[in-house]
Amino acid sequence: MSARSKPRTRTSSRAISVWLIALLVAVVATIQIRSQAEVERSFAGTDTASLAFLIDNLHRANDSLQAETADLTQQEAKLQSGGDSAADQVLTDEANHLRAAEGLVPVHGPGVVLVVSANGLVALDLQDALNNLGIGSAEAIAVNDRRFVVGVPIEQTQAGVTVGGYLVPAPWTISAIGDANRLAQAADLMTQSLRGDRRVRQATYRVEADVVIRAVVSDRPFVYGVAS
Amino acid sequence: MSRRRVVSIFVVAAVALATGFLVAGQAKVQLLTPSNQVARYQALVRSVQELEAGNAASRQKIAALRAQIDGLEAAAAKRSATTQALQGRVGDLRARAGLTQLHGPGVEVDLANGVPGPDTAGVGAYLVNFKDVQDLVNLLFAQGAEGIAVNGQRITPLSYFSGSGNEVTVAQGPPITVPIKVQAVGNRTRMEGALDDPSTLPDIRTREVLYQLQVSFRGSPDISLPAYDSTLDTRHVSPL
Repeated sequence: MSARSKPRTRTSSRAISVWLIALLVAVVATIQIRSQAEVERSFAGTDTASLAFLIDNLHRANDSLQAETADLTQQEAKLQSGGDSAADQVLTDEANHLRAAEGLVPVHGPGVVLVVSANGLVALDLQDALNNLGIGSAEAIAVNDRRFVVGVPIEQTQAGVTVGGYLVPAPWTISAIGDANRLAQAADLMTQSLRGDRRVRQATYRVEADVVIRAVVSDRPFVYGVAS
Repeated sequence: MSRRRVVSIFVVAAVALATGFLVAGQAKVQLLTPSNQVARYQALVRSVQELEAGNAASRQKIAALRAQIDGLEAAAAKRSATTQALQGRVGDLRARAGLTQLHGPGVEVDLANGVPGPDTAGVGAYLVNFKDVQDLVNLLFAQGAEGIAVNGQRITPLSYFSGSGNEVTVAQGPPITVPIKVQAVGNRTRMEGALDDPSTLPDIRTREVLYQLQVSFRGSPDISLPAYDSTLDTRHVSPL
């Protein structure tokens, strides 16, 4: 009895081993194919032009991030090596930088000045134009001497387009400070496109070594939000 | 079980595993059309993935460095009243710029693609694009938002929106794909009122009807927004 059951046990254990191995192979193969498919799915339907656009954007973004990392590393080293005066200097520099970014102080620097003379342009047109300058590296913007930063609403009213509640009638003089070469490229594309718009009488731009923006945004304290 | 048997099972398992990898690799190749165009496409996708990984790593590093600098500044502020006052002022400026977390009442808006229409004129109109996000963010700021995040990326005074097709990019962040969630902290009543008003966001509402673009929102008593983790570049700007 026991002599007959021994080969049967051996056969069944061999079958189990084979099945286990087959299962393992199937699992590994599935994981391999699925993980690759998962990676490709995130870009499914994206054409090569869009991918090239993404690459360009990411390259530029990563360069900026690396520059910021270098700046922060320097700040940290300064804080570690210096005393209280070093901390005061780092904080003062940061306060100046943030005030400029938030539009709280008058600023100057290289950039472009666009003049758009038109009939019937609406808030969305201005919003698009300012966003295009943002893509083109604008670090400070003003429209008809009204300072604009993201958060300042651009609205359509019966009287016309407003920036931060102030009417900005045409012609629009848009001043932008930033990387002059990139801003010039953006301004060139924008004015070309605007000239093709029937509502636009004239759209020009000039590159300037020192664009001055005196307008500022008024500081608005939080009423609802709590920073932490 | 004899030792030789155990060894032989391991050998069979190893061979089977290697075969599995080979089969998977082969299947992957066979699934794709063997052409230069596909190879180029794959190379572009790989580039995007590598750049995205680099982008995420840099943003993590920036967040860590900012935390360390905060700590060092706080330590210095304990020793000097002047430093403490400066730190308070910078803290306010950082909060306003979106460099710190923010929480409070607000709204959450979800945007998702609709379905393609029968007309060829509206090709792509059923997709959410970067201008939709830009319009929505502008509307929320106009209606009392004090801070906004798009899919967890905080909007700053220097943010901009770009994209191509269905991809949306906010400033230096990685590309975002639908569904898109816009979270805003601020005057909840005004923001809800504006989102309920059929005269606002005319382009989105038209496509909501024509292409079933999906737009929904809900108010909340407490929404948390993350801190901005990239750069506010003002290298070319000097105070007057």
